[in-house]
Amino acid sequence: MFLLVAGCAGVERAPPASSAPAPETAATEPSKPAPADAAAARTEPPAAGLPAKPAAEPSGKKPGATPAPAKKATPPPLDLTALETRLKETKAIGVFTKITLKNQVDDLLEQFRAYYQGRAKTTLAELRRPYDGLVLKVLSLLQDGDPELARAIVASREAIWGILADPNKFATL
Amino acid sequence: MNKQVKVWALVVAMTAFVAGPARAAEDAALLKDMTSVIALLGLPCGKAVSAVKKGENDHIVTCQDGNRYRVYLNPEGRVVAEKQ
Repeated sequence: MFLLVAGCAGVERAPPASSAPAPETAATEPSKPAPADAAAARTEPPAAGLPAKPAAEPSGKKPGATPAPAKKATPPPLDLTALETRLKETKAIGVFTKITLKNQVDDLLEQFRAYYQGRAKTTLAELRRPYDGLVLKVLSLLQDGDPELARAIVASREAIWGILADPNKFATL
Repeated sequence: MNKQVKVWALVVAMTAFVAGPARAAEDAALLKDMTSVIALLGLPCGKAVSAVKKGENDHIVTCQDGNRYRVYLNPEGRVVAEKQ
């Protein structure tokens, strides 16, 4: 995974890799680039100073490198509709797998619906666990075949949870 | 006549030569798909080693660990894996 990110960084510049490494941590903080930054730094000595820094910093240091970092510095957060579309189109997973994931996404959404309608005795915190589990399943399927989508999902993980956890936003889905 | 037979035999052989790898790739993709589905459904399998088509969106899958499942799309649009 590190090698893949480093390879991409080798083509475009190290700073982009600062936004890429989120999958490795699968964490709630997309702006946590340290592990893959170190990997990228190994392969990108000229920009070694940059990868170790957060994504915001490189844009102010090297004007020549600005266009490249701007492209991949911060992937825009995905909403559920966009996520579904990209998952439908990805070639990393097969048709049956896509349908199964859709089933599980629908099941999760139904749990949220039941919670907001008072039909379920679960709490929002309890719903976080199946959400995280589903995200990890998706990432495990995508990380090799479609790492870009995997990175985008990791970067959007909290934004998507924010939509699900807000009754007003959830109602717009 | 003899020449025609030879030409047809050559055509068939070439078709098999080209189609063989393509079909193998499709089979590998199907097995990978089935492996992922069974894993997503939380069932033991390890890795799908064969998938026999029973019908439209209906396969009998044999796993590395000896388990066999019928994986199919039910009328409600859900993927189901039934142990055989």
